[in-house]
Amino acid sequence: MGEVNSKVMRAKEAVARFVQDGDELVIGNYTVGSCAELVYEIIRQNKKGFTLYSQSGIFDVEVLVAGGCVDRLVSTYVMRSGGKKGGSAVERALNAGTLQIEDYTNFDYNARLVAGMHGFSYMQVLEGVMATDLFRKRGFMGEDKFRVIRCPYTGKDTVTVPAANPDVCVIHVQRADEFGNAQYWGAMGSVAAAALASKKIIVSCEEIVDHEIIQSSPHLTIIPAYRVNAVVEIPWGAHPTEVLGYYNLDYFMYNGLFSSAAATADGLKEWMEEWVYECPDRPSYIEHYIRKFGTAALDEIKAKPLYSAPANYGSAFHSRWDRNGKERSMGVTRVQLENLLKEKGKLYE
Amino acid sequence: MSKSYTLDELLAIAVAKEINDYENVVLGVGVPMTAGALAKALFAPHATLMMESGIVDIRPLLSLNNIADAHSCKGFSYATDLFSAFTATYRGFVDVCFLGVGQVDKYGNLNTTVIGDYDKPTLRLPGSGGAADFISYSKRTVLTMRGGTFVDKLDYLTSPGYLEGGDSRDKTGLFPKGSGPSALISTKGIFRFDPVTKEMYLSQIHPGVSLENVRKDIPWDLKVAPDLTETMRPTDEEIDFIRDFAPELSAGRQLAVELRAAYQMEKSRLHCV
Repeated sequence: MGEVNSKVMRAKEAVARFVQDGDELVIGNYTVGSCAELVYEIIRQNKKGFTLYSQSGIFDVEVLVAGGCVDRLVSTYVMRSGGKKGGSAVERALNAGTLQIEDYTNFDYNARLVAGMHGFSYMQVLEGVMATDLFRKRGFMGEDKFRVIRCPYTGKDTVTVPAANPDVCVIHVQRADEFGNAQYWGAMGSVAAAALASKKIIVSCEEIVDHEIIQSSPHLTIIPAYRVNAVVEIPWGAHPTEVLGYYNLDYFMYNGLFSSAAATADGLKEWMEEWVYECPDRPSYIEHYIRKFGTAALDEIKAKPLYSAPANYGSAFHSRWDRNGKERSMGVTRVQLENLLKEKGKLYE
Repeated sequence: MSKSYTLDELLAIAVAKEINDYENVVLGVGVPMTAGALAKALFAPHATLMMESGIVDIRPLLSLNNIADAHSCKGFSYATDLFSAFTATYRGFVDVCFLGVGQVDKYGNLNTTVIGDYDKPTLRLPGSGGAADFISYSKRTVLTMRGGTFVDKLDYLTSPGYLEGGDSRDKTGLFPKGSGPSALISTKGIFRFDPVTKEMYLSQIHPGVSLENVRKDIPWDLKVAPDLTETMRPTDEEIDFIRDFAPELSAGRQLAVELRAAYQMEKSRLHCV
């Protein structure tokens, strides 16, 4: 698919090429629009031994943990299906001793990636955490979870977290061009920092658009092409989570089927068998969904258009030469300029 | 006589009344979101509602699925990121935030991380999310309680209330003066914190709830305000707003789960035949 050096490829190839066993892997999305298909592909390729970073720890973390891909988890939030009586893959793995966890606050977690994104070795965080067990209780990071330094300007104790620079970020966005310029809008969360802190970036998107569309709306671009390793076009790539402007949360699949399944180990295993392992890619997943539940379920959650008012990026002129052929500030034509240069002996043969 | 109401509706309406006009408000999903929307519609029209995902000045149309759910809003005025949402809180620009309760002690310290051992949990709860940072730096924090428990000692301190009580929070030098939990609102009543000892006391009791009924959930000897008042019955307008905006909150957790399961079964069956 595509040219030899093109970044456009299938999920299968992107994951095989850029995700390695034992990587520090970060899920770029925060709470909404998670990169479901990239995550499922990682599980299908049976990648192992990750230190997984996830700000929001939703279904994506649950399936990666249940798929046996994760040794260590850095997060701020653990999903629990079915309330107190239910359960979570993370809880089960902790109790089985197959997973270690490091708990941060939302800010502290994000600060590690912001530090990494800017090339700093640490970031100052909000000192209130020192009064909590988040600060006192250290997991696999030990002393390096937080360190306290003295601010050279105020003399006050300052809490810091170490920079994170994950090996690879997987992320789903609304649209991108073939070069990897990735556009995302809505709740910004910590999406840009997660991607930009990482050494490699795999972008999946609802659609690949012309480069001109990106050029006309640069404020929507959160990852520049030069940082991106792979671009994968995956319509419905975040399902059952939502993508603003494309589709809503699939309540039926997420809060219904997935959540009831994820409450128990067997239930989740069965769900993953059906929706992860037996669907080799997103088109077959969607096909399976439609065969099982009909098209109405998906039609119901498709977004209706609500366009942002266009911003005017126009300027007064696009050439140094005015309509009479005169240079706008010097007032000479191109020929006149060249004659002058010749007269003054500035031109060399 | 106004309409009859559910306890969850009463809770959301009481929470909404903690929001004053012109305040900057950080909301969470569930009760706080509904309360924020109610406050904005009925008595705090100039409040700025925001979420930690960076969506600011949201106009919610329906109850949000999560804290980054821009789909449920008519629009928002400012799209910043999570980092800046918290540093704005750190700098003192947030007047009030709302946190749910897993375990809470008499000084308003919270555990939303784990029941039992941290490494081998009896019950792994969600974790901090934004909670620890918000209760640290928001000017006020309102605790909302639907399913949590009062305990003498937390299994894990996720979010700092008044620590050991008295001036212990202020003495750490870690928090803005005057910050901390301002109220805990449950389906039974409204608790506030003594200005000196910082111990939680019952300030207001919901209609039809007895003092014994409140005390039976609380392991310490609960203090009660000498001028204990009864929560005002919600108005029809307040109740109607909630039923329109967040019918699942009116249904309550148990019934909502049952109805959803039944409806899903029905939908799958319809497709299969």
